[in-house]
Amino acid sequence: MNIERIKDELAQAWTVAVKDVRVYYLRPGMIMFGFLMPFFMFFSFSVKRDVGAAEGVARLLAMAVFFTAGAAGPFIIPTERKIGTYDRLLAAPMSLLTLLLGKTAVGAFFAVAVSGVSLLAGLLFFGAEVIQPGLLAAGILLAAFSFSTLGLAFGSMPTTNPGDVQMPSTLLRWGLLFISGVFIPLSEMSPVARAIAYLSPLTYAQDVMNHAVLGSGLLNPWLDLSMLALSGLLFLFPSVKMHQRARVLGR
Amino acid sequence: MTHAIEVENLTKYYDKFLAVDHINFAVEQGEIFGFLGPNGAGKTTTQRMLTTLLTPTEGRIMINGHDLSHDSYPAKRRIGLVPEESNVYTELTAWDNLMFTASLYRVPRGERAKRAQELLEIFGLWDKRDIKAENFSKGMRRRLSIAMAIIHKPSLLFLDEPTPGLDAQSIRAIWELIRKMNAEGTTVFITTHQIEEANQLCGRVAIISHGKIAAIDTPERLKADFRRAQSVEVALDGEVAGKGAGLESLLGVTTHVKVGDKMRLYTEDPSALIPRVVQYAESNHLRIISLNTLSPSLEDVFLEITGGQLGAVSKEEEKPAKRGVGGRK
Repeated sequence: MNIERIKDELAQAWTVAVKDVRVYYLRPGMIMFGFLMPFFMFFSFSVKRDVGAAEGVARLLAMAVFFTAGAAGPFIIPTERKIGTYDRLLAAPMSLLTLLLGKTAVGAFFAVAVSGVSLLAGLLFFGAEVIQPGLLAAGILLAAFSFSTLGLAFGSMPTTNPGDVQMPSTLLRWGLLFISGVFIPLSEMSPVARAIAYLSPLTYAQDVMNHAVLGSGLLNPWLDLSMLALSGLLFLFPSVKMHQRARVLGR
Repeated sequence: MTHAIEVENLTKYYDKFLAVDHINFAVEQGEIFGFLGPNGAGKTTTQRMLTTLLTPTEGRIMINGHDLSHDSYPAKRRIGLVPEESNVYTELTAWDNLMFTASLYRVPRGERAKRAQELLEIFGLWDKRDIKAENFSKGMRRRLSIAMAIIHKPSLLFLDEPTPGLDAQSIRAIWELIRKMNAEGTTVFITTHQIEEANQLCGRVAIISHGKIAAIDTPERLKADFRRAQSVEVALDGEVAGKGAGLESLLGVTTHVKVGDKMRLYTEDPSALIPRVVQYAESNHLRIISLNTLSPSLEDVFLEITGGQLGAVSKEEEKPAKRGVGGRK
């Protein structure tokens, strides 16, 4: 692939992402599953509990990125398959990876925006401080990438009904939420529970937020960032496979 | 010169269902090629394979000399696709839909606006460029969908059922545009079950039935090959209750169909049948209001090939070419 082609592909991914932002960000499905859900979950598990401002902000940031980034894929792709606009993208002269990159960016942008609002609220209204801003930015970006590709894996299922995808994806995300170190710190978990928690990428997102906002975490922050990047790349594989499968099935 | 499309042994199974059965055909550069068949014959499946949306089970597709199985990128750059459903982004304006597609197909930045304006003017949508497509009629969305498919000036345009459900004015406008693009060098591949559309537009037609190509030729040669589908059409005046009864049993009539107040008698030899019709009228004291011989219509050919009954579909869809002079008394 030559330089011109790479530039074209990046521009196409950007074009897809910007179009999706304009078309889908204000759709009820995105607002419900992407914007309101993390706040509902946060307040459900934090109100009237002994949670400090910094700890609360770190938790809200992790949940905001987790739910918001993963909301786009399961909503947008089946919707586009249903109305036929996805064919326009599949038939366009760009690689499947470029299309998936564009779709990943949509969820990631959404997550960055919502976590930015959450952070601002935490700083302004709860007096929280960010100890390591650079680490926080890197953590949010890589977590947004990882969770967006997770959502994309669900969105890539060969179906034209968003409902077929959103329910299982929401269930999985809740499962990952409960096994991760969001509500119970890793240090307080039993060895078995901690071993299970390491399976969830949200654990690493929460740990890196703790480093950035609280100034301490259990794992090495570089390990957290690496695991988020790695999980994001791994989640792309099922997306690619399911797209190939959809082309065989004709869906 | 390489073919615009070359298909070898193309096959598609959906699980165990054979949708396209080892078909072969080639489309020349600059042709308008019709892919005609009844619903479920395999037309759309074939077109989806030709446009990379569907992976073939078997066979090879070459688009402008590029094998789609491993060299699809250059082929995709030169393809335009108008799917059956007008897949425009209803939340975007007509202008934004076109600019999005122009960017997706990497139309040079400086040309996008000019090209979008040109197309919106051609399709009569310039005044509505800032209106969201959700407020457009079906015909307007169709026109926008076609404009989006050709903004990058493709050398090969695929249209899947381009006109069903549209008003006559929109159909005519789309047909004119297809002819114009073809005249400028674009190869056009039309998938349709509308026989008149194929008859009006296509230089060659392939008729697909049950996943196989049953015939492929120019519309006129296809008609000429089907002598069985020639007919004599007669309108009689006389006692209403009995008029025309018994015509179908005249020697040489293969099948018949009542068309309004006329009877169409299919035969391989119209010149032999005409005297028998006249004799029948005289012996039954019936006046012949009109008597015409009809060459086979593409619809007749289509029905013969696809196993339908001659004259069983809408008679308004195609007017067969009349050879005789009516009004004989």
